[in-house]
Amino acid sequence: MRVRRRWVTATGIGACVAVAALGFIASYAAGQGTEEADPELIEKGRQLYQVGCSTCHGENAEGTGEGDDAVPSLVGVGAAAADFQLRTGRMPLAVIGKQAVRKPPAYGNDEIEALVAYVASLGPGPAIPVVEVASADAVNGGDLFRANCAACHNAAGVGGALSYGHHAPPLLQATPTEVVEAMRTGPGQMPVFGPDTFTDDEATDIAAYVTGNLQHPDNRGGLALGSTGPVPEGFVAWTVGFVVIGAAVFWVVRGRRRAAT
Amino acid sequence: MTEPASSAERKGPPAPTTHVPMVAFIVSIVAALGLTFVYWRGGQPQWEGALLCLALGGIGIGVISWAHRFLPAGPDEEPREQVASSDEALAALDADLIAGEEEFGRRRLLVRLLAGAAGALGLAALFPLRSLGPRPGAGLKASPFSTGDHLVTEQGTRVRPEDVAVDGFITVVPEGNTDDANAPTLLIHTRPGQNVPRSGREDWAVDDLVAYSKICTHAGCPVGLYQAESGLLLCPCHQSTFDVGDGSRPVFGPATRSLPQLPLTLDDDGYLVAGGEFSSPIGPGFWNQLR
Amino acid sequence: MASPKAPVTARVVRWLDRRVGGARMARKTLDKVFPDHWSFLLGEVALYCFVILVLTGIYLSLFFTPSTSVVTYDGSYGPLRGVEMSEAYESAIRISFDVRAGMVMRQIHHWAALVFVAAIIAHLARIFFTGAFRRPRELNWMIGVTLLVLAMLNGFAGYSLLDDQLSGTGLRIANAIILSIPIVGTWISSLVFDGPYPGTEILQRLFVAHILLIPAVIGVLIAVHLALVIRHKHTQYPGPGKREDNVVGQRLWPTYTAKAGGLFFLVASVLAALGGLAQINAIWVTGPYRGADVSSASQPDWYMGWTEGGLRLMPPWEVRAFGYQIPNPFFPGVLLPSIVFGIMYAWPFIQSRRAKTDQEHHILFRPRDHPVHTGIGVAAFTFVTVMMVAGSSDVIAVTFGVSVNAVIWTLRTALLILPPIAGLVAARLCVELQRRDAGPPSVAAEPPPANPPSSRAYPAAPEPELADQLSRSSAAESATRLRETP
Repeated sequence: MRVRRRWVTATGIGACVAVAALGFIASYAAGQGTEEADPELIEKGRQLYQVGCSTCHGENAEGTGEGDDAVPSLVGVGAAAADFQLRTGRMPLAVIGKQAVRKPPAYGNDEIEALVAYVASLGPGPAIPVVEVASADAVNGGDLFRANCAACHNAAGVGGALSYGHHAPPLLQATPTEVVEAMRTGPGQMPVFGPDTFTDDEATDIAAYVTGNLQHPDNRGGLALGSTGPVPEGFVAWTVGFVVIGAAVFWVVRGRRRAAT
Repeated sequence: MTEPASSAERKGPPAPTTHVPMVAFIVSIVAALGLTFVYWRGGQPQWEGALLCLALGGIGIGVISWAHRFLPAGPDEEPREQVASSDEALAALDADLIAGEEEFGRRRLLVRLLAGAAGALGLAALFPLRSLGPRPGAGLKASPFSTGDHLVTEQGTRVRPEDVAVDGFITVVPEGNTDDANAPTLLIHTRPGQNVPRSGREDWAVDDLVAYSKICTHAGCPVGLYQAESGLLLCPCHQSTFDVGDGSRPVFGPATRSLPQLPLTLDDDGYLVAGGEFSSPIGPGFWNQLR
Repeated sequence: MASPKAPVTARVVRWLDRRVGGARMARKTLDKVFPDHWSFLLGEVALYCFVILVLTGIYLSLFFTPSTSVVTYDGSYGPLRGVEMSEAYESAIRISFDVRAGMVMRQIHHWAALVFVAAIIAHLARIFFTGAFRRPRELNWMIGVTLLVLAMLNGFAGYSLLDDQLSGTGLRIANAIILSIPIVGTWISSLVFDGPYPGTEILQRLFVAHILLIPAVIGVLIAVHLALVIRHKHTQYPGPGKREDNVVGQRLWPTYTAKAGGLFFLVASVLAALGGLAQINAIWVTGPYRGADVSSASQPDWYMGWTEGGLRLMPPWEVRAFGYQIPNPFFPGVLLPSIVFGIMYAWPFIQSRRAKTDQEHHILFRPRDHPVHTGIGVAAFTFVTVMMVAGSSDVIAVTFGVSVNAVIWTLRTALLILPPIAGLVAARLCVELQRRDAGPPSVAAEPPPANPPSSRAYPAAPEPELADQLSRSSAAESATRLRETP
C-alpha cells in the first residue's frame, strides 16, 4: 500500500514538474520570439529575404556598409521590429538615403509572417506584442503620450520635424500593435521605450489613447485645420480676414453705385 | 413701393427695389429665432456659429444694401480749416500762459521745492511695485539636484540603470524636489562608444547612462526630442540641437551653452542617485548667470 | 417746447438738450463729411473687432477662474477625466464643453483677436503708404502704433491665461526673454512672476492685465484716436474737386452711419462664422501645462510669429564680458522689436525731415509719388514677413518634406537679401509708374507738383460766427439735397 502511494505521488509530482517545465520553456520561448519554431516557415522567410532584403542587409543579415551608408544588421532585432517595418511598408525602402515612410506593404500576410519568422530566428529580440486596448486606461495613455511622445509626434499626433531632414511620422494610421512595436524597437531615429521604461500595461494604455482619442479626436469646435495650431489658424485669419472682410469692405463703399444727384 | 423721384432722370439702370434688404432682414430674423431654438435645445457650436453669422450678416447686408439703394449718396462737401490756430490766437494763448508761469516763477525756491515734492512722491509711489515679488535669489543658479538625491520618474518611482533600454531615454526629477521648474532631467542610455566624456567627467556616466538637464539653455523649453540614431537632442521651440555624445554641446540653432550635465552614481540598492550638482546653471541665460 | 404730437425723436432731443445742451454741435456732427474709399474702412474693422472682443470677453470672464490651484478634472470630457490640471485650465475646458454657447463664445473671442491685429496692420499699412501720418497726424500715428503693441500684448496675455501646454511653453519663453534683459532682467522676472518661474501668481496677474489694465488703456487710446480724426477731419485721395481745404464724401447722417453700422454687423457675422465653423486653440488636445512636457509645432499666435522667427533665425551669438553676459534671446526678443517699433514711432518725423516738408497735409499721396518712402515700407514689411514665416520653420519642414535646418538657413539668407531687393524693386516700380503717368517720352517726366508751400493757401480759421454761417449754409444745401431724394 505505502509503496503504491509513493509511486502515485512521485508520478504526480513528476507530471507537475514536467508541465511546469514545459510551461516555462514555452513562455521563455515566447518571450524570446522564437515561438515560430516552424522550420518550413523560417526557410520560406529566408528565401524571401535573399530575394528582397539581402542586397542591403547582407547575405546573412549581418548588415553592410559603414558610417552614413551603414545598413543595420538584423540579428537580434526581433520579430516585433521586422513585423513593424514590413506591415507599415517602411521596408523595403523605396529611396535609399531618405527616411523610411509608411506606404502600402510590399508583401502579403503570409510572406510577412515568413520573413518575421526568419528574422526572429536570427537571434533573441522583442516578440510581437499582444495588445488588447479594449480594457486599457486611455486617460493614463494620454498623460503618458503628452509627456513622452508629443514632443516628436505632436500633441495631436500629426507628426513633427526632426533635424537634418528627418521627421517623426504622423500616427493617424497606426494600429495598436504597430504603436507598441515601435515603442519597443525604436525604428529609425525613434528612441527605444523598453518594458522597464513602460510596462506592458502602460504601453497598451498609450496604444489605446493613440488608436482611440488621438485618431478620433473630438473636433466639436469645427474644422480642425490640420491640428497644427496657431500656424494654420493665423493663415485662416488672414485669408478669411482679407478675402471675406475685404470683400465686405469693398462692397460697402463700391456696391451698387448710384448716379450722383 | 415708392421710387425715388430722381430715378425718372435716369434712363439706364432700373429703379432699386427693396428685395435685397427685405430678404436680408427676414433671413436675420429666422436665423435669430433658430439660434434661440438651438440654444434652448442644448446648443451646438457649428449651428450656433452659422446661425449667428446669418443673424448678424442679415442685418449688415440689409442695412448696407438699403443705404446703397435709398439713402443719399452725395457726394457732399464741407470746408476744412487749417488745424493750427491763427497767429493771433496763438499769441494770445502764449501771453496768458507765460503770464501765469511768471507768477509761479517769482518764487524760485517754491518751484524747486514743489518739483522736489512731486519727484519724491512719484518715486515713493513706485515702491509698492516692489511688493510684487522677492529679490531674485540664488535659486536662479541653484542646482535642482543635490549630491545623493535619488533620480525618480515623474510618478515618483526610483530608477535603476536597467530601466532604460539602449537608445532609450526617460525624464527624471530629484526625489523631494519634483515640482521645481528646473527639475526635469533627461536620463539617456547611449550606445557603447557614443558618450565621449568631457575632461573631468569621466566617471559621470553609469553603464553608458548619462543625465542632462531637459531645460533648454536658450529659452527654457523642454528639450524633448531625442534622435536616437544620430544621438542628437532637438528642442522643438527654436530648433536648438545638442550632441549627446559630446556633452550635449549645441551644434545648431540659437543655443550657446551646452545642456548642464548631472554626474550619476549608484546607491547601495542599485538605484541611480546624483553624484554631485549640475555642471552649470540650468536654463536660459541672464546677466550674472556665469559669475 | 415740443407739442405732445411731435415725433419721438424731437421729444428725446429736447429732453437731452435741456440737460446737456449742444444742439448746434450735434447738428454739425450729423453733417460731418466722411470721404468714401474702401481703404478708409480698415481702421473701422479693427474697431469692430475690439468691440466684439470686449463683448465676448465679458461673457468669458464670468466663467473663467484665473487660478493655478491644482484640481482633478471631473467634467464631461472623458479623455481628461482624472487628470490633474490647474483651475484655470479646468475652467477653460468647462467653458468649451459644459457651458452652453461657451465654445462658440471662446472661439469668436480668439478669432476676433487674430483678425483684430490683422486689421490694425492693414490699416497701418494704408496710413503708411498714403502718407496719412504726416502733420497734423503724427500724434495719431504714434497712438496707433501704441494700440498695435497693446493689442499684441493683450492677445498674448489672453491665450496664456488658459494654462494649456502650448501657451505655457510660450510663457516660459517670455520669461527667458525677460531674463535676458541686462542688469534688471532677473528683477523684472521676479517681480512679474512673484519669484522664480512659474510661481503661483502669474495667471491672476495676467487676468487683471488682460481684462482690465490693457483694455482700459486701449479704450482710452481709441477714444483719443477717434477724437483726433474728428478734429483733423479725415484725409482724402487726390481727385477732381478735392483740395487741401475741403472734405468730399458722404454725410455722417444718414448714409455713413448706415454703412458703418452695417459694416459692424458684417464683421461680426464673419467672426461668428469663424467662431462656430473653424476650431481654434483646441486646448483639450494639447493638454494642461506641464513644465517637463512640450509638443512639436509649438508656435505663438500669428502676430507674435515674427519674434518667434527672430528667435529661431538668430545665430548662436551672445555677448560676454567680465563674467557678465547678454544672452542670445535678448537680441531678437528685446532689441530687435524695440528698434522696429522705435523706427515706427519716429517715422513721421524721419519722413518729414527727408521730404523737407513741414506743412499740414490732408490730401493723401499715392505710393508711387514717394518711391523711397514706399521702398522702405515694402522692405520693412518684407523683413517682418520673412521673420514670421521663419516662426513656422518646423511646420514648413514637415509639410513640404524638407530639412528644418535647410529651411532656417534659407530664411536667414532671405532675411538679409529679400528686404533690400523688395524695397528696390518697389521703388523702381514707383518710378516707372510715375513715368507712365507723365505720358509719352517727349513730355519731361516731372515729379508731381509739390504741395503748396505756403500755409496761407488755407483760408484762415474763420471767426466763430462766420463758421456758423458756413456750416448753416452747407447744411442748408445738403438739406435741400436730402429733400430731393426721399
